[in-house]
Amino acid sequence: MTATTMRVGQRANLFADRNFKWLVIAPSIIVLLVVGIYPLVYTGIVSFQQITMMEEDTSWAGFMNYAALFSDGRLWESFGHTFLILAIALPIELVLGLLMAQLFLEKLPGKQVFIALLIIPTVISPIVAGSTWRLMFDNQYGPVNQIIGWFAGEPTAILWITRPEWVYPAILICEVWQWTPFMFLILLAALSNVDRSLIEAAEIDGASFWKIFFRITLPVIRPVMVIAILIRALDLFRIFDIIWAMTKGGPGSITETISIYTYIRAFKEFETSYAGAIAFLVIILLSVIVIFALKRVEIAR
Amino acid sequence: MTMWKRLQTAVGAVALVGLMAGGSAAAFAESAADIAVREAKQYAGTTLTVIWEAGLQSLDPLNFSGPKWEELTGIKLKVVESQVNEMFPKMMQEHRAKTGAYDILNVVPAWMGDLVRAGALEPLDGYVDKYGYREELADIGDVYRENQMRIGDTIYGFPDDGDVLILYYRKDVFEEMGLSVPTTWDEFYDTSKAISDKHAPEMYGAGFMRVRGLLHYFYQERARVEGCKFFDAESMAATINGPGCVKALAGIVKDNTTMPPGVEAWGAIESLAAFNAGTIAMTQWWPPVGRWSAGYGTDTEALSWVPPSVVGGKVGYALPPGGHPQLAAGFSMSVSADSKNKEAAYLFIQWINSKEISLQRVQLPYALRDPFRKSHFESESYQSLWPDAKEYLATLQAGAVTGLLDLSVINTFAYEDALGRGLQAVMGGADPQESLDEVAADWDKVTEKVGIDKQRAAYKQWASKPNAYPN
Repeated sequence: MTATTMRVGQRANLFADRNFKWLVIAPSIIVLLVVGIYPLVYTGIVSFQQITMMEEDTSWAGFMNYAALFSDGRLWESFGHTFLILAIALPIELVLGLLMAQLFLEKLPGKQVFIALLIIPTVISPIVAGSTWRLMFDNQYGPVNQIIGWFAGEPTAILWITRPEWVYPAILICEVWQWTPFMFLILLAALSNVDRSLIEAAEIDGASFWKIFFRITLPVIRPVMVIAILIRALDLFRIFDIIWAMTKGGPGSITETISIYTYIRAFKEFETSYAGAIAFLVIILLSVIVIFALKRVEIAR
Repeated sequence: MTMWKRLQTAVGAVALVGLMAGGSAAAFAESAADIAVREAKQYAGTTLTVIWEAGLQSLDPLNFSGPKWEELTGIKLKVVESQVNEMFPKMMQEHRAKTGAYDILNVVPAWMGDLVRAGALEPLDGYVDKYGYREELADIGDVYRENQMRIGDTIYGFPDDGDVLILYYRKDVFEEMGLSVPTTWDEFYDTSKAISDKHAPEMYGAGFMRVRGLLHYFYQERARVEGCKFFDAESMAATINGPGCVKALAGIVKDNTTMPPGVEAWGAIESLAAFNAGTIAMTQWWPPVGRWSAGYGTDTEALSWVPPSVVGGKVGYALPPGGHPQLAAGFSMSVSADSKNKEAAYLFIQWINSKEISLQRVQLPYALRDPFRKSHFESESYQSLWPDAKEYLATLQAGAVTGLLDLSVINTFAYEDALGRGLQAVMGGADPQESLDEVAADWDKVTEKVGIDKQRAAYKQWASKPNAYPN
């Protein structure tokens, strides 16, 4: 073996030693780039073209699709519908989840069985949950109207998913039913980690329930709660399955959320590039909101 | 024997032999189904993939035609089920991606033009001549053959389902109340109201489908009967918000007041269930309700979900008010241009669509394929399936003469979707004029995107067909 060959070998070993950490994570980075970044970049490219599923025209459209977003009233209405659902469903899920978690902190007979039963809605596919609730709300065969009829003392024919005044309550009931258990589970885990000795000390000092909750419990569970809120907020912002199964965005376009509207433009009206522009707008908006939220709550800390 | 006589005898003998040979050839001529089977055997071992509407529709290839085809040819059939409203996007996506995922396509005729323009369908004329199918195509009902088979002069699909929305009514109730079958929509309202006034809540005058995705068929028919035109043929501005169109939609809302509470949310099952249960006296439906209300085949396992009929023998069949039933949806069998098994795929659709096999398929108790050949309407076996089957078939055949085609232009699906949204809003309480104004605005946007000149040409071609608008 010559001196030159030895020097090359040593250099290679030195390179491997110095960059070992990068070599180890390189495969995952490459996979992430391929499955995560590539579709994003491709969507971005498509959004600057004028592709529709009906025509194979891939010519460039510049910012035409993005400019069209501003004059698309239905798009902004769908944003409004999305925020409305988010603004109502999220606090309800949080409060109910917290109350249930607080309740299940106590020693209860059959607690584990109840917890298992309570989380069943969360493991059901949202499209199945939506379809099930659509049947539950059916004005002719659904049990909801029947139960209301028993209380009212006469047959009730509320058109839950046809009448504008009833459609949001129907969607919210389904949404809260399915996702409150998720909040409950996360918050139960967080509450279980609160140091009992601190609470007991506060109780000995005569602190009220609310004082203990706001001064001791909440600060401890706050990071987990914020993550749970963030996850649910993102889910609610992308809500699709439940509403599609129940109303398909109707009556008219009154329950079209941003995801449903994007789907309609892409797969009912076949405007691939325009749907790409909407998707990119949503990605930018969500990224900004998430970054802002994470900074605001200093979650990394 | 003179030379002349000998010649005459010889010519006569040759002619006789020729006649006999011709006669025996005719006697033993293979049917289109036999030819398809014979030719398809060389592809034994391959698998054909077909996209078919989910649910009852798919029981035909799953339970009947698929297994039978495999037994005869050794070719397997893989059925991909899809909701009807998702079929067109799926076909287009697979075509654009050139996946060759489907060999055979069930094409709703209104979408055929769009699929042909995209290059998704294989032209079939060459195969038709090669495998001797042209003669049997002449047996397909005129309205289906003329409108649901070709784009331009080229065959792209075989009409395979005689969908027509006829009126079903309770003969006994009409007789008891001295009513006659309504021939106009005004008469329909009066008739429905009279029955509801007398019998509700036990029985209402009528109950129709009103859900999104279905209502637009009923609306398209009624609007045209009321004089509505979909577009101005020159400017291509949408005229779906014109007086006749609004009158039709307002009429639908008015009719709802004579129907059971909550009818605004009724789909196909609700109206079928109510009619079979005897709680409505009239409904407009696709042909299967005629068979099922008579009790035909409802004892089979596949139809165990169909509510038992208490109205068997009491059902009358008629054309709907206006006399121009919608030829709503329907299916044509096509070969995918991206198929890697085009010959085998073609042979399957020739076999399944042939006189012999299609007659068996339209008589399957659970089938949703409805009579579409002249030989189906005239079939003695079909006419004897239940006591009133002959009258039923005659009404379907009459509907196939005066029936109205679904709107079919470029990007039909987008127009249908916008219309469906507007109609659903009206069922939720919105004003018909305002909703149709919004639909018209949406349609104009679609037209603008397609290109006014291109769309004008497509619309004029469609509108020039005898069954586009009532004469």
